[in-house]
Amino acid sequence: MALDQKFSTIRKGLLEFLILKIVAADKVYVADILSLLGDTEFATQEGTLYPLLGKMRREDLVSYDWQESDTGPPRKYYKLTAAGRKQLAEFNEYWKSLNTFINQAGR
Amino acid sequence: MNKVITVSLNGNAYQMDEDGYNTLAAYLSRAETKLRGSADHREVIADLERSIADKCANFLRPHKNVVSGAEITQILNEMGPVQTPEVGSIESEPSKAEAPPLRSETVIGGSSRRRRLYRIREGSKWAGVCTGMAAFTDMDVSIIRVMFVLATFCAAFFGLLVYIVLIFVLPVAYTESEVAAAHSRPPELRHT
Repeated sequence: MALDQKFSTIRKGLLEFLILKIVAADKVYVADILSLLGDTEFATQEGTLYPLLGKMRREDLVSYDWQESDTGPPRKYYKLTAAGRKQLAEFNEYWKSLNTFINQAGR
Repeated sequence: MNKVITVSLNGNAYQMDEDGYNTLAAYLSRAETKLRGSADHREVIADLERSIADKCANFLRPHKNVVSGAEITQILNEMGPVQTPEVGSIESEPSKAEAPPLRSETVIGGSSRRRRLYRIREGSKWAGVCTGMAAFTDMDVSIIRVMFVLATFCAAFFGLLVYIVLIFVLPVAYTESEVAAAHSRPPELRHT
């Protein structure tokens, strides 16, 4: 397995939590998420993002409102639900403990 | 000269050439197959269609109202392959929409789509046998009518006889699911 492929597997697992973070910070629609992630390691595409947001909606982590746009058709703006905020907090805790453990392991 | 096909994406009509249509039909069919397991997969497909429609609109101008096959390929490359988010189903990412133009009538909606021959009253001249056969085979209804007329005059009223038998044999498609089963393509990809 090439190194990049290993990293790619890690990134895929983290994408959902990254989206929780992005949605927590501001009301966003899909194009906002795509452009926020655009120049990062986590750059993604709609073919991945819509099914993922669909899953998060089913799990009641996010919800959305339709909002009119000046430039085109109405957009779905996503926001976190209470369950989404709770999961984000848990993720942040877990991430910290993982980081600490990884930094200390094998010393 | 290219054949142009009109499709309805998220409630709006878009015209595209045949290559574009085949590529898009294959993409949406793969998306449907991938997402079918989840309860609200229709909503995700609608999200994808809305986004594709937006991108199609960007290619249209006052004097250009057909989206080309190359433009559809570009749009689908931008969309990226549809991936289910479940960890464990991670696959290697194909870098572009790997779409060998499929014969869409055999794949759309997958094998679970129930199909049968119905009579369709809408657009019919007489009892809807020809419109039903056109929907089922995805052929132009005029061609089927011509075949019936030829079979009537060239083969001792054989065409007329078959037509009359079919009036009694074939049911009329009334409900939405019957109309869906009568067509070889799902409504969002049907010729308008």
